[in-house]
Amino acid sequence: MERHSPPSLTTDATDPTGTSTVVRTDRRQHLRSSQADAFRAGARSVTPLLFGMVPWGIVAGVAMVSAGLSSTQAFGMSVLVFAGSAQLAVLPLLVAGAPLWVMYVTASVVNLRYLIYSAVLAPYFRAQPWPWRVLISYLTVDGMFALFVGRFTPDDGEPHREWFFLGGSLVVWIVWQASCLAGIFGGALIPREWSLEYAATLALMALLIPLLFDRAVVFGAVAAGGVSLAAARMPMNLGMLVAVAAGVIVGVAASRLAPQGAASGASHGA
Amino acid sequence: MAHETAFAWALIAGMALTAFLLRAVFVVPGSRLRLPAGVEQVLRYAPAAALMAIIVPDVAMSQGTLAIAIDNPRFVAGVVAFAVAVVTRSIILTILAGMLVLTAVRLLVS
Repeated sequence: MERHSPPSLTTDATDPTGTSTVVRTDRRQHLRSSQADAFRAGARSVTPLLFGMVPWGIVAGVAMVSAGLSSTQAFGMSVLVFAGSAQLAVLPLLVAGAPLWVMYVTASVVNLRYLIYSAVLAPYFRAQPWPWRVLISYLTVDGMFALFVGRFTPDDGEPHREWFFLGGSLVVWIVWQASCLAGIFGGALIPREWSLEYAATLALMALLIPLLFDRAVVFGAVAAGGVSLAAARMPMNLGMLVAVAAGVIVGVAASRLAPQGAASGASHGA
Repeated sequence: MAHETAFAWALIAGMALTAFLLRAVFVVPGSRLRLPAGVEQVLRYAPAAALMAIIVPDVAMSQGTLAIAIDNPRFVAGVVAFAVAVVTRSIILTILAGMLVLTAVRLLVS
């Protein structure tokens, strides 16, 4: 039995008093409970997001089936790809009989924003073991990303951010898959003109607000919005990437021109 | 309109791979990859810009053309919802207000 006792009880060889066993066990329990706290806080934090996600998942489920995928394929797609907008983007091409590579390229271009998310998230999770980093990569979606970045900064020293991210992302994952299933099997019952999928855009709107933390960011965001309209006719959602690039350039320029947080002009009215 | 099984799964597998790789490219290398300070500075502006580039066309365009008009339900709902988001910062209230206005305008217009 002794040989199989947990490590926390066998690490006191160097401690003649034997007290460290207790201390370490305590610390371990404390660590575990604060990880669980972070996990639960993350899970709680996404609940409002679900109001946007459920309709969007149902719409995606309906769209996949009506594009001719079997229900197994549709569910397989939502589990394996787990990227709603890319899924929706390839469906018209699938219906039109486009070659595979065209659909790969389209999905990748729509997903290029994940490249940005990956770069933004990297400093937060640099110190985590690789299985964590793989899991976090797979689970990254717009809503949880925006929520997380709005709440933490890379060097805020907050403990267990990975547990927070995991808690939120798992809830998102489960609810997304459940909504897709609902759409695959019963979504045809909901009239299309209700535009339920618009709820997802509205949720992103609320998530955007905390990200607008200084004037330079606001300038960048406004530029990105304007350019996204001007570039909307570019093929394969490339306009979105052009818009992000423009937003970043304008943001950096604004911060250079008014280095002190641009406290100068409330009158500029962004 | 059933697609050939192998073709559909090839599509799914390829999309799964690219979706994962794009999300993993900076996160998975971990501490082996250090972005230069300049890049991290640039990335300050990317999240808000990316969200705007998703939101704005969905709000202000209809069937591929600019639709900043009082009879475009998405536009009116989007403007109201944005105001609600700024004031309340509540996701639920933003969605509720937006969907209510969307439905109201749609019923009024039709």
